[in-house]
Amino acid sequence: MGEFGLQRGSVDLRSAGAITFGPAGILFLADNAAATVFAVDVVDPDPGPEGGAEPFDLADVDARVGSFLGAEPGDIVIKDMAVHPLSHNVYLSVQRGHGEAAQPVLVRISRLDGAITDIPLDDVAFAAAPLDDAPADDDERVDITLPLGSEGEEIQVGERKIRILRQPIRTATITDIAYAGGALLVAGLSNEEFSSRLRRIPFPFRDGATGSSLEIFHVSHGKWETAAPIRAFVPYDGGASILASYTCTPVVYFPLADLTDGAKAVGRTVAELGSVNQPLDMVSFVQDGEEYLLVANSAHGLVKIACRDIDSQPPLTEPQQPVGVPRETKDLQGIRRLANLGGGHVLVLQHDDEGRQHLRSLKTASL
Amino acid sequence: MTEASWSRGDGGDCIRLTGLPAGAHVRIFPGRGVSPETAAGGAGGRPATAGRLVREGDDLCFVPRFAFLDGTTYTVTVEGEIAAVLVRALPDRQPVTKVTGIRPTATEVPCNLLRFYLQFSAPMSEGCAAEYIRLARDDGDNITGALLPTEHELWDASRLRLTVLLDPARIKRGLIGHQDGGYPLRPGEPFRLVIGSGFRDAEGLPLRAPAQHRYHVGGAERRHVDPASWVLTVPPAGSSEPLRVTFDRPLDYGLLARCLQVIGPDGHPVEGTAQTGHGEQAWQLAPRRAWASGPHQLVVDPVLEDLAGNSVSRVFDRDLSRSEDRPREARPVTVGFRPR
Repeated sequence: MGEFGLQRGSVDLRSAGAITFGPAGILFLADNAAATVFAVDVVDPDPGPEGGAEPFDLADVDARVGSFLGAEPGDIVIKDMAVHPLSHNVYLSVQRGHGEAAQPVLVRISRLDGAITDIPLDDVAFAAAPLDDAPADDDERVDITLPLGSEGEEIQVGERKIRILRQPIRTATITDIAYAGGALLVAGLSNEEFSSRLRRIPFPFRDGATGSSLEIFHVSHGKWETAAPIRAFVPYDGGASILASYTCTPVVYFPLADLTDGAKAVGRTVAELGSVNQPLDMVSFVQDGEEYLLVANSAHGLVKIACRDIDSQPPLTEPQQPVGVPRETKDLQGIRRLANLGGGHVLVLQHDDEGRQHLRSLKTASL
Repeated sequence: MTEASWSRGDGGDCIRLTGLPAGAHVRIFPGRGVSPETAAGGAGGRPATAGRLVREGDDLCFVPRFAFLDGTTYTVTVEGEIAAVLVRALPDRQPVTKVTGIRPTATEVPCNLLRFYLQFSAPMSEGCAAEYIRLARDDGDNITGALLPTEHELWDASRLRLTVLLDPARIKRGLIGHQDGGYPLRPGEPFRLVIGSGFRDAEGLPLRAPAQHRYHVGGAERRHVDPASWVLTVPPAGSSEPLRVTFDRPLDYGLLARCLQVIGPDGHPVEGTAQTGHGEQAWQLAPRRAWASGPHQLVVDPVLEDLAGNSVSRVFDRDLSRSEDRPREARPVTVGFRPR
């Protein structure tokens, strides 16, 4: 893993967030509490060719993961899901417990038999990239507390040395990450300014390099230009293009080549997801030689969009429903996360009416 | 007869089991109910809680890989049969955490208000916001669909301050959310932001009391934040009186605290104590040393926003036909003044 600049050590993961696979089975983990993205070699046990083509379903995945972690389902939050590109084992980013007891755990579910294991992060090959919109050096607004352990920094007060912990007030919450074109793309929400930044961090991470930051505007109906945080996005077309869903629900297309550092990019709004709705996750897949995108959202079933329709879709100019590219809405409710499973399947994390959570395989040929 | 109890063993909390036959097959599960399939260790059942069994004399100690959670019940099975049920007690404490601030503190907000800040007296648990924060009309009815239903709660690092966004799809013109539902807030219709006492602090305890703040609602605000329109009350040179800045409208509480800075005639920042005034409509800087004479600059970071998300550099959702709303350069804006 030397080629990717990973070094052996302990990942001080402070919170569970978005996860995605990069090259050579390296898993990226977003840690909002530490304002850092980690790249970790998870040393996946490749189950061989038989790990490939069959669908994979696991009912009550929250109860099962909770049981393994010694917690009731209500004390388990599955923050994100990723599928290993070769073995198709399923990885979950899990928060166990709440408040002071909250603990981030990375869990692997075997594609072959559904066996659950946790992945200890105290002796792994990893690299870390801090986020550049963590508080600036001149942002002096920090809460200062006295830590119990060895956290924080030591300062001299009179004749005494005390250890203090500076907790930033301004924070960035990563909403989605994806690897494309030799870089990790990071979308986030600030707890202060309302911005629409997509950060591109070249991988392997370089010391001190926090990557470039791009503000992507979009135009609503040819009349209003707006910026908003990106909630979910997916690279497609071999990583040449991005389709992003915004918190205010437009679905916006832009070519990755347009994203030069510091430039203002204007994406093309190609669809809207509708009112009282939130995009949750996106995935691309190929069916009969054509690339398609799936959008999971909070109010409707899965939305399926053909990439060729995006390419031919002019910018939306009139507010109307349904708007934008032709799309099919699949009668599949409660889907929160999506990932390519391989073998012609997309894996979904689905919440049912009782709040139970299940992993299900959807056959792409039937979507 | 197997007996199980909370204990310490092998350096941590454990479940101590006595009276077990040698080589007994022991497993632990969270929760009170264990299905026969789970108890039998079948493939369709739940996995047992991760941990290790350590022999201590005649006892067997189960040491979990992940610490036991307070308030959780654990079931012990021996040879696939339920042998004991143990409850990890919650700490017996009274609620002490309270809401110490709700921003904006302004009495009137624009109908396209974008965000609130909630300040708590102690670190809080994540995952409660959607359930315990609501907007209510004076008749008590909730204003539904107003707050952004995000699964990402926007806490500061110490989980003392929570940022709550109103759904931008309801605020931005031209989007279906706005077309269908209009602004979530209506001019002339007061409302309250209400925080329920069930909101849990980091120790899992509820708040000492609910909290609320009532607002009047005015028209939409869609102009750049324009420092040229601010009124500066300039202190005399040689004094330590504060520089007072009065804005033309309330500005964002979170951003105000980091977006304003005063540069002295020597080109260095003027050190002192900055304070945001009530209603977030004023700001002052009391210098640590007396004001020098000569030209000073109030430097404004262009990300500074008003309550509706309009910043110095851009209008929240810009009408492309209005040339005055064009984005301005994302560079700091300065306002000169000279203590005399």
